[in-house]
Amino acid sequence: MKRNALLSSANLSWGTLALALAVLFLLVRLLAPNFFWYAFTPALRAGDALAQMSHTFLSSFDNAATLALQNEKLSQENAALTIENEALLEKTNSVSQLGANSQGITAGVVARPPESPYDTLVVAAGSEGGVTLGEEAFGEGNVPLGTVTSLLAHISRITLFSAPGASLLGWVGPTHVPLIIKGGGAGTLSASVPRSAGVTVNDVVSVPGPGSLPIATVVRIDSDPSSPSVTLRIQPSLNLFSVTWVVLRDTGITLQNAFSTTTTPTKP
Amino acid sequence: MMRGLFTLIAFISTVLFPWPLTVLLTLGVSLYEPLVPLAIGIFADTLYYTPQVGVLPLFTIYGLIAAVIAFFVRSRLKTSIIGR
Repeated sequence: MKRNALLSSANLSWGTLALALAVLFLLVRLLAPNFFWYAFTPALRAGDALAQMSHTFLSSFDNAATLALQNEKLSQENAALTIENEALLEKTNSVSQLGANSQGITAGVVARPPESPYDTLVVAAGSEGGVTLGEEAFGEGNVPLGTVTSLLAHISRITLFSAPGASLLGWVGPTHVPLIIKGGGAGTLSASVPRSAGVTVNDVVSVPGPGSLPIATVVRIDSDPSSPSVTLRIQPSLNLFSVTWVVLRDTGITLQNAFSTTTTPTKP
Repeated sequence: MMRGLFTLIAFISTVLFPWPLTVLLTLGVSLYEPLVPLAIGIFADTLYYTPQVGVLPLFTIYGLIAAVIAFFVRSRLKTSIIGR
């Protein structure tokens, strides 16, 4: 048997075999394409599935990076909100302490004129909130506004000092001239003082509270030459119909009621 | 034997694995078997060549270039034990 030196196994390398195999596949594809694709379709499908799996696997790292960024951002936002929450809590505590010091009940105004009758306010605090009849209502700047004249469980009615027929004792001017302030209706006040008192326009009118509380200013003085007294037209410091919050506080009405109860003469 | 194994893996990689891995394997094997890049190029074109995309069988051409370079490198390595 003859031996071909070119085809001897000693000269055949893996590269040569690979090249021969590749050429064989090429010939099969060219000569019998149907058979070729029939044979290779499962392998190519497996390759597609593998590529899809690897793509999904690599994409998961991208998602992890996105999630890490999002997590970091949320952590920063959470820290900021925690700080903000602590600040608000501290503020709330401060306000609560302030309210405790003022010993009053803060109530929102539910209705004001013209919703409510003139010179009255309806506020959202009642007997269940600790409000009692006769308590004074104070506006912004601790300005007295009126007194609680009607009471329900959760609602109170405050009659302003400017209501017709209402009167309260007070002072006017730097020398604290005593006077009786009378309500003139529609948010106006008036008072009558001796001409010799020397009251002038822009003098401050104050009422007793804890000390002396400014309530209004004199805006006009009506005088009649034949009368020994003058009439003061007084404008409240606050616009009584624009008040939104009031503080209800007992200024001694309970004590006065107690006194009146104990000093009422009893019939034999 | 290892050369044969890596050559077989290069063929399988052409079908199953991403092309960068196939290129890496082929270039590695080409240090020992310079004809493998050409064989892999022909095999890749057998699988993936479509006349609509391009006229030239690029994989075969790239494989041929790699094979020529591999032959050139081997010829320069006179004292090498690679060819033994």
